[in-house]
Amino acid sequence: MRNLIVVLGLLLAPAWADEPYKEYTPAEHFEPHVSGDSQLTGTYRYWKDPTKLDLRLAGHPDDSWKLNWKHLDYPFNKEMHAGHLALDRGLVLFNKLNRAGTFKNCLVMYRLNGQYETTLRGLRTHFPAYRTDLRRVAGLEEVIEHCAALESETLQNGSYDNSAVSIYIASQSLGMPIKIDVSSGPLREAWKRGERLFHQKVGRNNMSCASCHVGRVGQSLRATVVTSPYGDAAHYPVYRDRFGITSLHIRFAQCSLDLGFNALKPGSPAYTDVEVFLTALTNGYPVSVPSERP
Amino acid sequence: MHTIWRVILVAFLCGSPLGYGYTPGEMVDSKMPTKTLMPKVKVDSGRLEWVPYAMDLSPWPTLCEDDPRAMPRPQHAQYVAPLRGDAVRGRMIVMDTRRGNCVTCHEIPGEDWPGTFGRKLNHYKQLRMSDADIYQQIYDVRITAPRAVMPPFGALGILSDQDIRDVVAYLQSLE
Ligand code: HEC
Ligand code: HEC
Repeated sequence: MRNLIVVLGLLLAPAWADEPYKEYTPAEHFEPHVSGDSQLTGTYRYWKDPTKLDLRLAGHPDDSWKLNWKHLDYPFNKEMHAGHLALDRGLVLFNKLNRAGTFKNCLVMYRLNGQYETTLRGLRTHFPAYRTDLRRVAGLEEVIEHCAALESETLQNGSYDNSAVSIYIASQSLGMPIKIDVSSGPLREAWKRGERLFHQKVGRNNMSCASCHVGRVGQSLRATVVTSPYGDAAHYPVYRDRFGITSLHIRFAQCSLDLGFNALKPGSPAYTDVEVFLTALTNGYPVSVPSERP
Repeated sequence: MHTIWRVILVAFLCGSPLGYGYTPGEMVDSKMPTKTLMPKVKVDSGRLEWVPYAMDLSPWPTLCEDDPRAMPRPQHAQYVAPLRGDAVRGRMIVMDTRRGNCVTCHEIPGEDWPGTFGRKLNHYKQLRMSDADIYQQIYDVRITAPRAVMPPFGALGILSDQDIRDVVAYLQSLE
């Protein structure tokens, strides 16, 4: 009995101990819609409509940051890049996985409140979503990994093949606005956690995402200029020259290392929370794949 | 003992256990010299590779609400004169992305692509700041300018006492 109490005490000790000291960047007000950028960085008017970007801004090294890199999306960017190869492979892989039709069913079903769809069209626009089968909020790539496993295939979250399938699925929502509802339920909780994490200062530089993406938009770190956090989730997985096909969680892992703290495994709850936060900041912006970023 | 339980709690809360034998959820391999791993996306593969990263970032809290590790609190520097800094070494630290990395945020003479986060340090001596004040600024900016986005180099142990003295000597040499 005594031992049991000791063991229980040790188990619960962390919960009683003081919160470890961490600082938070003072929070700005964030809107779960891409137009909220107007209050934050004011660049929204330059990249609001991907079909009407200002050619002169794009060609200007000091001003191109105002486009939030949208000049690298189609239709402004009609270059053939490695993202297109991933899209092609994604289609092949999807058809292979979906031979029995069960892979697609797994992808489209199991959303909270029984909002089932029957086609891939629009599917990308409401991920991350709460999955009743996983009993948690999950990003599209996590769900692809899960549904592929049910077909006895390994498509690890963040791997090339997983991202290829994700790009293919996103291509079925091309031009459709991102639309996740963070007004209630588990997604609201995830949005709130994600927002807090976005402001949490950690790592060897004691910085938060907000340290750069809120107060410092338009300023440069050596040759790279920081851009708005709004509208960043519409073009993932994206092709990056130095890193290859990069899912949003892989991008977070790269950010983490750049900022001086260890990367988390793609699909980790903290990354999913930040994904929910950034995706809500992209609400209303059209899906654009395949795309590239530096 | 306490720490062990906290690590287990983090393992539980921050991600799925991976069997890397360190703090699970965080991508580390305790058998590698730098522990920290970085993702490598291999073309046409369903598996994600993790390769050693150049630096060991394991001592630092990572991005997770339940990470039990704390960040160091703001600290007043214990600066003792005289300076005894080496400006040549100071410049190397200022330019080194793994150490001072000051040039990522500040304009420094002889660098073509400086950052613009902080002010230009090109003629810093002209500001006539005391060695002690510059030392504190670099040691822990949270004391002097709480909202500045600048790493607290001394409080976080990134630069040693001598390193900071060398950097101060370098800034005081910028006429
Ligand atoms: C030291 C400054 C800095 C910090 C801190 C920082 N970033 Fe960034 N981030 C950048 C820069 C510079 C870029 C490249 C230009 C751009 O897209 O803003 C970038 C790009 C990105 C992108 C890609 C945008 C796109 O168009 O695809 C994402 C996503 C991102 N950051 C997320 C984060 C997250 C999440 C964090 C916190 C974990 C974070 N960043 C912290 C500087 C920073
Ligand atoms: C992540 C960006 C960043 C890095 C890296 C950085 N600084 Fe700063 N620094 C700032 C900001 C922001 C400020 C506050 C605004 C200002 O006064 O320039 C600042 C302020 C300063 C000041 C005070 C300027 C004044 O007003 O008198 C000094 C001195 C300084 N930094 C030196 C350094 C040195 C030396 C290094 C490298 C060891 C360094 N900084 C690295 C961002 C940075």
